[in-house]
Amino acid sequence: MMDNSSTLHLALPAVYTVPSAVAPATTLAQPRAFSTSVNPLVFFSILDHYLRRNADQDRVIGTLLGVRSEDGAEVEIKGCYPVPHLESQDQVEVDMEYHRTMFDLHKQVNPKEVIVGWYATGADLNSYSALIHDFYQKEVSSFPAVHLTMDTALTNERLGVKTYISAPVGITSKGDNCMFIPIPCDVKYFKAERAGLELLASTKDTESGSTTLLSDMDNLERAVIDVQKMLERVSEYVDAVLAGTVPANNTVGRYLMDTVSVVPKVDAAEFEKMFNSHLQDLLMVIYLANMTRTQLAVAKRLEKLL
Amino acid sequence: MPANKELSAALDIEGTVPIHSVQLDAMVVLKIVKHCRESAPATVTGQLMGLDVNGVLEVTHSFPMPKNQESEDFEGSQYQLQMMRCLREVNVDDNSVGWYQSTNMGNFMNQSLIEHQFEFQQALNKSVLIIHDVARSSMGNLNLRALRLTPAFMKLYKEKKFTTEALAKAKLTFSNIFEELPITIRNTALLNALLFELETSDDSVEVSASHLTTYKNSSNNTSNKSALTPSFDMLDLSLDPYVAKNLENLMETIDDHQQEQGNYAYWQRSVERENKKKAAYLANRKTENARRAQAGQAPLPNEDVDSMFKLPAEPSRLDHLLISGQIDNYCKQINEFAGPTLGKLFAVGELQK
Repeated sequence: MMDNSSTLHLALPAVYTVPSAVAPATTLAQPRAFSTSVNPLVFFSILDHYLRRNADQDRVIGTLLGVRSEDGAEVEIKGCYPVPHLESQDQVEVDMEYHRTMFDLHKQVNPKEVIVGWYATGADLNSYSALIHDFYQKEVSSFPAVHLTMDTALTNERLGVKTYISAPVGITSKGDNCMFIPIPCDVKYFKAERAGLELLASTKDTESGSTTLLSDMDNLERAVIDVQKMLERVSEYVDAVLAGTVPANNTVGRYLMDTVSVVPKVDAAEFEKMFNSHLQDLLMVIYLANMTRTQLAVAKRLEKLL
Repeated sequence: MPANKELSAALDIEGTVPIHSVQLDAMVVLKIVKHCRESAPATVTGQLMGLDVNGVLEVTHSFPMPKNQESEDFEGSQYQLQMMRCLREVNVDDNSVGWYQSTNMGNFMNQSLIEHQFEFQQALNKSVLIIHDVARSSMGNLNLRALRLTPAFMKLYKEKKFTTEALAKAKLTFSNIFEELPITIRNTALLNALLFELETSDDSVEVSASHLTTYKNSSNNTSNKSALTPSFDMLDLSLDPYVAKNLENLMETIDDHQQEQGNYAYWQRSVERENKKKAAYLANRKTENARRAQAGQAPLPNEDVDSMFKLPAEPSRLDHLLISGQIDNYCKQINEFAGPTLGKLFAVGELQK
């Protein structure tokens, strides 16, 4: 689980929850590994917050909102909001009142999302992190609070996103005695969001960092070109394997096999029939739609004549 | 000072430059998409914040509004004020520049929307309405539209005069209720870094495992776990549900249209009837006056005619306008959809050979 030295043994604070009747038997025997998934919106908001920080501030923090699975072992982080805080040499101040108000406001819109943890920018965890974490731990009561960090300084040339939960350490169980344990985290989004994300992703190669919306037709063209490229890559690879220049990879082979077998085999005559009926349907609909529009246009002109 | 002048021109302090395009921050796009998707199919609204710079309306932040609760006005404005105060504390542009609304299959033309936008534009001249179509976005292409009411429509709406005559005079038809502004989307440099990160994280070691999981879970395809793999939703061939739904909506609106036309025809008939009565009365009066003139009497006055025959008031043509606009919208949608679909169909046809 962790590549610790042998002197320190830490257990993941397992999520011992009431075994629910619906849960499969395996989860009863042993608690599942804790994991998180993050909506990309969260990253975007954190970056926006970071960019809007005060001039003398070098890191920002905020509250993470999300939903938990039934047994609490999976957290889906869906949103977040910034919380102003002050860090000085010897103390840290978090605006609790702000945090509360914001949460109340969020609850009005989206009652399902609850506090699941907090985020901070910067790669390192310091002693204040433990203090703040302790506060958030109290906010989420019995569940482990999640801490998400984002390396906005781009050390190692990466925008390393890491998620942690804390484990108590030491003999006395004081709040700021804790160890952050990394937990797996992946990105999760839905169809409609993916469409948006894809569009945003297309901006990253342009210099100005801006883009316009695509029409359906352009989008289709792009998709077709992508497919073409992928097909080319695959056939290149297959050719290379066949020629013996690249060692065959069984997993890839199996994937390819599956993909090929998915392609349905349709009888030519049958296909012809289906194709034509679909085409006719579509043309009919287009015709009708255009007809309606023409009618409207005529009505428009007539109205002007009055 | 030229520098000063430039600055004031850039900030457009007098607010003279009309806005000609809308620039959305990537975060705003995602926020809108998320909010709309989570509460679909219900329509939801939210507030947009930002700044207009030299004709470009930059939208840099947004927040969702709570769904209709009791005593909506009070709660809503309270919520809004508090939210804006909170956002100002963390250096967000606390300048309201409009609002957004979700829609399904493009049916957003209705009275309440118009009224809301009218109020907005009345209070803040440079506010826009962003329409996000959830159903169409989930088909693989993000669908956002930025709309504003045209000045001609604003004027008419203010006077609440939607007679045929006024409409003809203002040259207002269904196609110029709204003006549509082009939308651009802007990413910050850090965001670009993030997007690259999301893309490149695919070729690290752990990813082979994540590929395996998606492979296993491919049956329950509600969410896609691996980051930024290209999506081919666009290539989906099934056209039936979309077109069927669209046609259904279209039919409904045309029914409404019919009804509206019925109302109008009824009004026309009653006007005609009144006019006939009036003409008959006038003719009557004329003959009587002629008779009286022959008899050497003073003619009867003609003034009270107008008050005797009141023409029924013309029904508001606003509904008619909106419905026409809606029909036009649906038809356009079908056309937009049909083009790529035809392309896809023929592509498949070629593939089969």
